[in-house]
Amino acid sequence: MTLTKAHAVGLLAAVMVVGGIVVAFWPSRDVGYVQINTVPAAPITQAGLYLDATKLAPIRQGGTLLRQPIGTLKLQAETLSGERAAICDIVVKRNRITTVTVSVLERPPRCLCRFTGSGDPKDHTCVS
Amino acid sequence: MTSSAAVSRAKNRLLIGAILTAALTLAGQVYAEDNTGPGTGAANGNGVGLNGLSSSVISRAPASPVEEFSKQLEDFQKSVPDLNKEIQDSAAAIDSATDIDKARAAIDQLRGQVSTLLAAVSDNGPVSQLGFKALAHIRAKLKILAQEQRFKLEERQFLVDQWQRLQAETENAAKELGDARSQFAGLLQTLQSNEDFIDELVELRQAEKAIEVIKNLTRNIRDASARLNRLIGSIKPPGA
Repeated sequence: MTLTKAHAVGLLAAVMVVGGIVVAFWPSRDVGYVQINTVPAAPITQAGLYLDATKLAPIRQGGTLLRQPIGTLKLQAETLSGERAAICDIVVKRNRITTVTVSVLERPPRCLCRFTGSGDPKDHTCVS
Repeated sequence: MTSSAAVSRAKNRLLIGAILTAALTLAGQVYAEDNTGPGTGAANGNGVGLNGLSSSVISRAPASPVEEFSKQLEDFQKSVPDLNKEIQDSAAAIDSATDIDKARAAIDQLRGQVSTLLAAVSDNGPVSQLGFKALAHIRAKLKILAQEQRFKLEERQFLVDQWQRLQAETENAAKELGDARSQFAGLLQTLQSNEDFIDELVELRQAEKAIEVIKNLTRNIRDASARLNRLIGSIKPPGA
């Protein structure tokens, strides 16, 4: 099979376009994890929690472990009026787990960081 | 001559078409991989992928959610011994390292390997997501069968029994995956806390103590890796 110059250019252009599409949709490999524990633990907790813009599925058996892109995420809880209130920031690092416990009996729920990095109990930024 | 040129053109078009199709399919799979969450999304819409563990199931023709879960689980089980071997090799590399920097680099690599496994079984990972979908499908089937009028009573009962058996097997597999998730998470946490401790020791110029921590860590990794291998190998995919 012989490829003319025009065909070769066409092929190259097609590969570049497709390559661009693949790169655009290719997921980030830089991921970490967020472990959210709820207290009190229940078979299913409908706490109305959001990680940035995404609403979390009901949490089963008092905990969920979620794969997330690295960076800082905002954990928010739905208030009684249906609005969202930020309860803490969660720093996700590459291939590490950041653990946060959410006390769901309080309104709005309260975050308890496993580590804050600063040691200050008023610090609402959870780190791994 | 003209006809040979036409054949050549047609072949080239076919080749370009095949490349385009393959690449677009790949792009579609990657996109689909991150959109397989349950109704509420489970915080999985953040464009995070999984280094290829889930792609095989997505590329096949649509099967029932239970079949998909079973297949994905089997694929995951098949990938575990190889990844576990890599973990054991990394543990050996850490153990033999006399240089702390090399040992830390090996721990970092090991965290990557454990993270790959954890990604598959995290709550918003592909295997867990398919498990949720499979269970939702079974519950919907049982609900429909309860009102089904097309079949004789014994036929209906037979179908209900079969779906209930699948439900029990799927719930069991999901529970065992949950146990594996906890153990992977525990292993990753052990690695990160040990790494942090080693960093602190290095800062304090306590190299000997750091080496001792590294040696202890490798023993723990080997034990955890062997336990996980057994645990994941023993999970029975539903309907298998």
